[in-house]
Amino acid sequence: MLKKILILILPFYFLVLLQTSFLVHFSISSGWWVGWSPNFILLAVILINFFTPDHSELWWGVGSAFIGGFFLDIFSSSPIGFNVLILVALAFFIKIILKRYVRIPAF
Amino acid sequence: MRFSARKKKILIVIMGLLVILSLNFFQKEVKGFFYSFSAPIQKSLWGAGDRVSDFFEGIFRAENLKKEAEELKLKNQELLAENVSLQNLKKENQILREALEIGLEKDFKLELAEVIGKDIGQDSLLINKGLKNGISEGMPVITQQKTIVGRITEIYENFSRVRLISSKESSFDAEIIERDILGVVKGKGGLKIYLDLIPRQKELKEGDLVTSASLGGIFPQGLLIGLIEKVKQSDVSFYQQAEISPFFNVEEIENVFIILNF
Repeated sequence: MLKKILILILPFYFLVLLQTSFLVHFSISSGWWVGWSPNFILLAVILINFFTPDHSELWWGVGSAFIGGFFLDIFSSSPIGFNVLILVALAFFIKIILKRYVRIPAF
Repeated sequence: MRFSARKKKILIVIMGLLVILSLNFFQKEVKGFFYSFSAPIQKSLWGAGDRVSDFFEGIFRAENLKKEAEELKLKNQELLAENVSLQNLKKENQILREALEIGLEKDFKLELAEVIGKDIGQDSLLINKGLKNGISEGMPVITQQKTIVGRITEIYENFSRVRLISSKESSFDAEIIERDILGVVKGKGGLKIYLDLIPRQKELKEGDLVTSASLGGIFPQGLLIGLIEKVKQSDVSFYQQAEISPFFNVEEIENVFIILNF
Protein backbone atom coordinates (compact mmCIF):
# COMPACT_ATOMS: atom_id res chain seq x y z
CA MET A 1 0.00 0.00 0.00
CA LEU A 2 2.79 2.37 0.98
CA LYS A 3 4.58 1.64 -2.28
CA LYS A 4 1.43 2.50 -4.24
CA ILE A 5 1.05 5.75 -2.34
CA LEU A 6 4.69 6.69 -2.99
CA ILE A 7 4.23 6.02 -6.72
CA LEU A 8 1.24 8.39 -6.73
CA ILE A 9 2.96 11.25 -4.89
CA LEU A 10 5.23 12.58 -7.66
CA PRO A 11 2.69 12.65 -10.54
CA PHE A 12 0.07 14.26 -8.31
CA TYR A 13 2.54 16.81 -6.98
CA PHE A 14 3.35 17.97 -10.50
CA LEU A 15 -0.27 17.77 -11.56
CA VAL A 16 -1.26 20.09 -8.71
CA LEU A 17 1.53 22.50 -9.59
CA LEU A 18 0.31 22.44 -13.18
CA GLN A 19 -3.21 22.98 -11.93
CA THR A 20 -2.45 25.91 -9.66
CA SER A 21 0.24 27.67 -11.70
CA PHE A 22 -0.36 26.84 -15.35
CA LEU A 23 -4.04 26.02 -15.88
CA VAL A 24 -5.31 28.99 -13.85
CA HIS A 25 -4.44 31.11 -16.88
CA PHE A 26 -7.07 29.26 -18.86
CA SER A 27 -9.97 30.00 -16.55
CA ILE A 28 -13.29 31.11 -18.04
CA SER A 29 -13.46 34.87 -18.12
CA SER A 30 -17.19 35.49 -18.56
CA GLY A 31 -20.63 34.02 -18.00
CA TRP A 32 -21.89 31.71 -15.27
CA TRP A 33 -18.68 29.72 -15.04
CA VAL A 34 -16.41 32.72 -14.61
CA GLY A 35 -13.17 31.86 -12.81
CA TRP A 36 -13.46 28.14 -13.46
CA SER A 37 -10.50 26.28 -14.87
CA PRO A 38 -10.06 22.58 -15.73
CA ASN A 39 -9.46 20.50 -12.59
CA PHE A 40 -7.01 17.82 -13.58
CA ILE A 41 -6.77 16.39 -10.06
CA LEU A 42 -10.50 15.71 -9.95
CA LEU A 43 -10.31 14.21 -13.43
CA ALA A 44 -7.35 12.01 -12.47
CA VAL A 45 -9.05 10.79 -9.29
CA ILE A 46 -12.24 9.95 -11.19
CA LEU A 47 -10.32 8.13 -13.93
CA ILE A 48 -8.17 6.14 -11.51
CA ASN A 49 -11.21 5.09 -9.51
CA PHE A 50 -13.17 4.26 -12.62
CA PHE A 51 -10.46 2.12 -14.19
CA THR A 52 -9.53 0.25 -10.99
CA PRO A 53 -12.92 -1.16 -10.05
CA ASP A 54 -11.44 -4.32 -8.65
CA HIS A 55 -11.94 -4.39 -4.92
CA SER A 56 -8.32 -5.41 -4.40
CA GLU A 57 -7.24 -2.23 -6.19
CA LEU A 58 -9.09 -0.01 -3.70
CA TRP A 59 -5.89 1.67 -2.51
CA TRP A 60 -5.11 3.09 -5.93
CA GLY A 61 -8.40 4.93 -5.97
CA VAL A 62 -8.57 6.08 -2.35
CA GLY A 63 -4.83 6.75 -2.24
CA SER A 64 -5.02 8.99 -5.28
CA ALA A 65 -7.90 10.89 -3.66
CA PHE A 66 -5.86 11.31 -0.47
CA ILE A 67 -2.71 12.51 -2.19
CA GLY A 68 -4.44 14.61 -4.83
CA GLY A 69 -6.65 16.26 -2.23
CA PHE A 70 -3.72 16.85 0.11
CA PHE A 71 -1.64 18.63 -2.54
CA LEU A 72 -4.64 20.64 -3.69
CA ASP A 73 -5.14 21.79 -0.09
CA ILE A 74 -1.47 22.67 0.29
CA PHE A 75 -1.40 24.83 -2.85
CA SER A 76 -4.79 26.46 -2.32
CA SER A 77 -6.21 28.70 0.36
CA SER A 78 -8.56 26.05 1.74
CA PRO A 79 -7.80 24.34 5.05
CA ILE A 80 -5.80 21.13 4.87
CA GLY A 81 -8.22 18.23 4.52
CA PHE A 82 -10.99 20.05 2.69
CA ASN A 83 -10.23 18.64 -0.77
CA VAL A 84 -9.05 15.36 0.78
CA LEU A 85 -12.50 14.79 2.29
CA ILE A 86 -14.27 15.65 -0.96
CA LEU A 87 -12.06 13.46 -3.14
CA VAL A 88 -12.05 10.49 -0.75
CA ALA A 89 -15.85 10.68 -0.55
CA LEU A 90 -15.96 10.83 -4.35
CA ALA A 91 -13.62 7.82 -4.62
CA PHE A 92 -15.81 5.76 -2.32
CA PHE A 93 -18.92 6.91 -4.14
CA ILE A 94 -17.50 5.78 -7.50
CA LYS A 95 -16.44 2.45 -6.01
CA ILE A 96 -19.87 1.83 -4.55
CA ILE A 97 -21.65 2.77 -7.79
CA LEU A 98 -19.32 0.61 -9.86
CA LYS A 99 -19.60 -2.33 -7.50
CA ARG A 100 -23.37 -2.27 -7.12
CA TYR A 101 -24.77 -0.98 -10.38
CA VAL A 102 -22.22 -1.22 -13.18
CA ARG A 103 -20.99 -4.28 -14.90
CA ILE A 104 -18.25 -3.69 -17.41
CA PRO A 105 -17.31 -6.87 -19.31
CA ALA A 106 -13.76 -5.61 -19.95
CA PHE A 107 -13.03 -5.58 -16.22
CA MET B 1 -10.20 -7.41 19.53
CA ARG B 2 -10.48 -8.45 15.88
CA PHE B 3 -11.47 -6.30 12.96
CA SER B 4 -12.78 -7.54 9.68
CA ALA B 5 -10.78 -6.55 6.57
CA ARG B 6 -13.45 -4.07 5.55
CA LYS B 7 -13.57 -2.39 8.96
CA LYS B 8 -9.78 -2.30 9.02
CA LYS B 9 -9.68 -0.42 5.72
CA ILE B 10 -12.32 2.08 6.86
CA LEU B 11 -10.39 2.59 10.10
CA ILE B 12 -7.19 3.31 8.17
CA VAL B 13 -9.01 5.81 5.95
CA ILE B 14 -10.53 7.58 8.99
CA MET B 15 -7.16 7.67 10.73
CA GLY B 16 -5.56 9.04 7.59
CA LEU B 17 -8.19 11.76 7.41
CA LEU B 18 -7.66 12.64 11.06
CA VAL B 19 -3.90 12.88 10.55
CA ILE B 20 -4.41 15.18 7.56
CA LEU B 21 -6.97 17.32 9.40
CA SER B 22 -4.63 17.62 12.40
CA LEU B 23 -2.07 19.21 10.08
CA ASN B 24 -4.26 22.34 10.21
CA PHE B 25 -2.73 23.10 13.60
CA PHE B 26 0.61 23.56 11.80
CA GLN B 27 -0.89 24.87 8.58
CA LYS B 28 1.63 27.71 8.14
CA GLU B 29 4.62 25.45 8.72
CA VAL B 30 3.31 22.63 6.49
CA LYS B 31 2.33 24.88 3.60
CA GLY B 32 5.52 26.92 4.00
CA PHE B 33 7.59 23.76 3.74
CA PHE B 34 5.97 22.78 0.44
CA TYR B 35 6.09 26.32 -0.95
CA SER B 36 9.80 26.64 -0.19
CA PHE B 37 10.89 23.99 -2.66
CA SER B 38 7.98 24.35 -5.10
CA ALA B 39 8.36 28.07 -5.70
CA PRO B 40 10.86 27.83 -8.62
CA ILE B 41 8.72 25.26 -10.44
CA GLN B 42 5.58 27.29 -9.83
CA LYS B 43 7.29 30.41 -11.11
CA SER B 44 8.32 28.82 -14.40
CA LEU B 45 4.91 27.17 -14.83
CA TRP B 46 3.20 30.48 -14.15
CA GLY B 47 5.33 32.22 -16.77
CA ALA B 48 4.66 29.48 -19.31
CA GLY B 49 0.93 29.59 -18.59
CA ASP B 50 0.89 33.32 -18.99
CA ARG B 51 2.63 33.17 -22.36
CA VAL B 52 0.50 30.30 -23.70
CA SER B 53 -2.77 31.89 -22.57
CA ASP B 54 -1.70 35.19 -24.12
CA PHE B 55 -1.02 33.40 -27.38
CA PHE B 56 -4.42 31.69 -27.44
CA GLU B 57 -6.18 34.81 -26.26
CA GLY B 58 -4.66 36.62 -29.22
CA ILE B 59 -6.05 34.00 -31.60
CA PHE B 60 -9.52 33.76 -30.06
CA ARG B 61 -9.89 37.47 -29.52
CA ALA B 62 -8.46 38.62 -32.86
CA GLU B 63 -11.78 40.12 -33.92
CA ASN B 64 -12.36 41.76 -30.57
CA LEU B 65 -8.81 43.02 -30.54
CA LYS B 66 -9.36 44.75 -33.84
CA LYS B 67 -12.44 46.44 -32.44
CA GLU B 68 -10.61 47.30 -29.23
CA ALA B 69 -7.69 48.74 -31.21
CA GLU B 70 -10.07 50.97 -33.14
CA GLU B 71 -11.76 52.10 -29.93
CA LEU B 72 -8.40 52.79 -28.35
CA LYS B 73 -7.33 54.74 -31.41
CA LEU B 74 -10.41 56.91 -31.09
CA LYS B 75 -9.84 57.30 -27.38
CA ASN B 76 -6.24 58.24 -28.07
CA GLN B 77 -7.33 60.91 -30.51
CA GLU B 78 -9.81 62.26 -27.97
CA LEU B 79 -7.08 62.39 -25.34
CA LEU B 80 -4.69 64.06 -27.75
CA ALA B 81 -7.31 66.71 -28.51
CA GLU B 82 -7.89 67.17 -24.78
CA ASN B 83 -4.16 67.45 -24.23
CA VAL B 84 -3.84 70.12 -26.90
CA SER B 85 -6.72 72.06 -25.39
CA LEU B 86 -5.09 71.81 -21.94
CA GLN B 87 -1.80 72.99 -23.37
CA ASN B 88 -3.58 75.96 -24.94
CA LEU B 89 -5.17 76.75 -21.60
CA LYS B 90 -1.77 76.53 -19.94
CA LYS B 91 -0.33 78.92 -22.51
CA GLU B 92 -3.26 81.29 -22.08
CA ASN B 93 -2.84 81.13 -18.32
CA GLN B 94 0.84 81.97 -18.62
CA ILE B 95 0.11 84.93 -20.88
CA LEU B 96 -2.49 86.23 -18.43
CA ARG B 97 -0.01 85.84 -15.58
CA GLU B 98 2.60 87.80 -17.51
CA ALA B 99 0.02 90.48 -18.25
CA LEU B 100 -0.84 90.66 -14.56
CA GLU B 101 2.81 91.04 -13.67
CA ILE B 102 3.15 93.99 -16.05
CA GLY B 103 -0.01 95.48 -14.61
CA LEU B 104 -1.96 95.56 -17.84
CA GLU B 105 -5.15 94.54 -16.07
CA LYS B 106 -4.80 97.49 -13.71
CA ASP B 107 -4.43 100.00 -16.53
CA PHE B 108 -7.02 98.74 -18.98
CA LYS B 109 -9.97 96.45 -19.38
CA LEU B 110 -8.62 93.69 -21.58
CA GLU B 111 -9.82 90.76 -23.64
CA LEU B 112 -7.42 88.02 -24.56
CA ALA B 113 -7.61 86.79 -28.15
CA GLU B 114 -5.84 84.19 -30.17
CA VAL B 115 -4.39 84.98 -33.59
CA ILE B 116 -5.97 82.60 -36.07
CA GLY B 117 -4.82 84.12 -39.32
CA LYS B 118 -2.11 86.39 -40.62
CA ASP B 119 -2.09 88.38 -43.82
CA ILE B 120 1.35 89.91 -43.84
CA GLY B 121 0.93 91.25 -47.38
CA GLN B 122 -2.03 93.33 -46.23
CA ASP B 123 -0.56 94.01 -42.78
CA SER B 124 -3.49 92.48 -40.95
CA LEU B 125 -4.32 89.73 -38.46
CA LEU B 126 -7.44 87.70 -37.82
CA ILE B 127 -8.29 87.05 -34.18
CA ASN B 128 -10.84 84.74 -32.55
CA LYS B 129 -12.88 87.37 -30.68
CA GLY B 130 -15.73 89.35 -32.15
CA LEU B 131 -19.04 91.06 -31.46
CA LYS B 132 -20.05 88.36 -28.99
CA ASN B 133 -17.07 89.27 -26.83
CA GLY B 134 -17.86 92.96 -26.74
CA ILE B 135 -15.32 93.95 -29.35
CA SER B 136 -15.99 97.03 -31.40
CA GLU B 137 -14.29 98.83 -34.26
CA GLY B 138 -11.25 100.95 -33.51
CA MET B 139 -10.26 99.16 -30.30
CA PRO B 140 -6.50 99.02 -29.80
CA VAL B 141 -4.74 95.67 -29.93
CA ILE B 142 -1.56 95.11 -27.95
CA THR B 143 0.71 92.28 -26.88
CA GLN B 144 1.25 91.18 -23.29
CA GLN B 145 4.49 93.22 -23.29
CA LYS B 146 2.43 96.44 -23.76
CA THR B 147 3.50 96.75 -27.39
CA ILE B 148 1.05 98.18 -29.92
CA VAL B 149 0.00 95.76 -32.65
CA GLY B 150 -2.82 97.60 -34.35
CA ARG B 151 -6.54 98.39 -34.28
CA ILE B 152 -9.73 96.48 -34.91
CA THR B 153 -11.08 97.35 -38.36
CA GLU B 154 -13.57 94.61 -39.22
CA ILE B 155 -15.78 92.75 -36.78
CA TYR B 156 -17.71 89.54 -37.19
CA GLU B 157 -19.72 87.52 -34.69
CA ASN B 158 -16.77 85.53 -33.41
CA PHE B 159 -13.84 87.01 -35.29
CA SER B 160 -12.20 90.35 -35.88
CA ARG B 161 -9.65 91.73 -38.27
CA VAL B 162 -6.78 93.77 -36.87
CA ARG B 163 -5.10 96.38 -39.02
CA LEU B 164 -1.44 96.43 -38.03
CA ILE B 165 0.26 99.74 -37.33
CA SER B 166 2.49 98.93 -40.30
CA SER B 167 -0.49 99.17 -42.66
CA LYS B 168 -0.32 102.07 -45.12
CA GLU B 169 -3.70 103.24 -43.84
CA SER B 170 -2.50 103.46 -40.26
CA SER B 171 -1.33 106.65 -38.60
CA PHE B 172 -1.45 107.82 -34.99
CA ASP B 173 0.29 110.17 -32.59
CA ALA B 174 3.46 109.12 -30.85
CA GLU B 175 6.15 110.65 -28.71
CA ILE B 176 9.72 110.30 -27.66
CA ILE B 177 9.45 111.08 -23.97
CA GLU B 178 13.22 111.45 -23.37
CA ARG B 179 13.42 114.33 -25.86
CA ASP B 180 9.90 115.66 -25.52
CA ILE B 181 9.20 115.15 -29.20
CA LEU B 182 5.75 114.56 -30.66
CA GLY B 183 5.20 113.03 -34.07
CA VAL B 184 2.99 110.76 -36.11
CA VAL B 185 3.70 107.09 -36.65
CA LYS B 186 2.66 105.94 -40.09
CA GLY B 187 2.63 102.55 -41.70
CA LYS B 188 4.72 101.89 -44.78
CA GLY B 189 3.38 98.44 -45.55
CA GLY B 190 5.44 95.28 -45.45
CA LEU B 191 5.57 95.45 -41.63
CA LYS B 192 7.50 98.71 -41.67
CA ILE B 193 6.68 101.92 -39.80
CA TYR B 194 8.16 105.38 -39.61
CA LEU B 195 7.87 108.48 -37.51
CA ASP B 196 6.79 111.57 -39.41
CA LEU B 197 6.07 115.24 -38.86
CA ILE B 198 8.95 115.86 -36.48
CA PRO B 199 10.13 119.45 -36.64
CA ARG B 200 13.61 119.76 -38.18
CA GLN B 201 15.10 121.55 -35.20
CA LYS B 202 14.35 118.60 -32.92
CA GLU B 203 17.27 116.26 -32.41
CA LEU B 204 16.60 112.56 -33.00
CA LYS B 205 18.98 109.72 -32.35
CA GLU B 206 19.03 106.08 -33.30
CA GLY B 207 17.81 103.93 -30.45
CA ASP B 208 15.34 106.49 -29.11
CA LEU B 209 12.24 104.88 -27.66
CA VAL B 210 8.96 105.69 -29.40
CA THR B 211 5.75 105.33 -27.39
CA SER B 212 2.16 106.16 -28.09
CA ALA B 213 0.68 109.54 -27.24
CA SER B 214 -2.89 110.12 -26.16
CA LEU B 215 -3.25 113.14 -28.40
CA GLY B 216 -5.35 111.61 -31.15
CA GLY B 217 -7.26 109.39 -28.76
CA ILE B 218 -6.54 106.35 -30.91
CA PHE B 219 -4.22 104.57 -28.50
CA PRO B 220 -3.68 105.00 -24.77
CA GLN B 221 -0.57 106.88 -23.75
CA GLY B 222 2.66 105.08 -22.99
CA LEU B 223 2.32 101.95 -25.10
CA LEU B 224 5.53 100.74 -26.72
CA ILE B 225 5.98 101.13 -30.46
CA GLY B 226 9.64 100.67 -31.30
CA LEU B 227 13.11 102.19 -31.48
CA ILE B 228 14.33 104.85 -33.92
CA GLU B 229 16.40 103.02 -36.52
CA LYS B 230 17.35 105.64 -39.09
CA VAL B 231 16.79 109.40 -39.20
CA LYS B 232 16.02 111.02 -42.58
CA GLN B 233 16.34 114.77 -43.06
CA SER B 234 15.54 116.72 -46.19
CA ASP B 235 16.67 120.23 -47.06
CA VAL B 236 13.38 121.09 -48.70
CA SER B 237 11.06 119.76 -46.03
CA PHE B 238 10.19 121.47 -42.80
CA TYR B 239 9.83 118.11 -41.08
CA GLN B 240 12.15 115.18 -40.62
CA GLN B 241 11.29 111.48 -40.68
CA ALA B 242 12.71 108.46 -38.91
CA GLU B 243 12.37 104.78 -39.61
CA ILE B 244 11.25 102.79 -36.60
CA SER B 245 12.19 99.25 -35.78
CA PRO B 246 8.87 97.97 -34.32
CA PHE B 247 8.82 95.92 -31.13
CA PHE B 248 6.12 93.55 -32.29
CA ASN B 249 7.07 90.62 -34.45
CA VAL B 250 4.07 89.45 -36.40
CA GLU B 251 5.59 86.06 -37.10
CA GLU B 252 5.85 85.34 -33.38
CA ILE B 253 2.54 86.77 -32.23
CA GLU B 254 0.12 84.06 -31.15
CA ASN B 255 -2.03 85.88 -28.60
CA VAL B 256 -2.98 89.52 -28.28
CA PHE B 257 -4.98 91.70 -25.90
CA ILE B 258 -7.77 93.96 -27.05
CA ILE B 259 -8.18 97.07 -24.93
CA LEU B 260 -11.91 97.39 -24.33
CA ASN B 261 -11.72 100.78 -22.66
CA PHE B 262 -9.03 103.22 -21.61
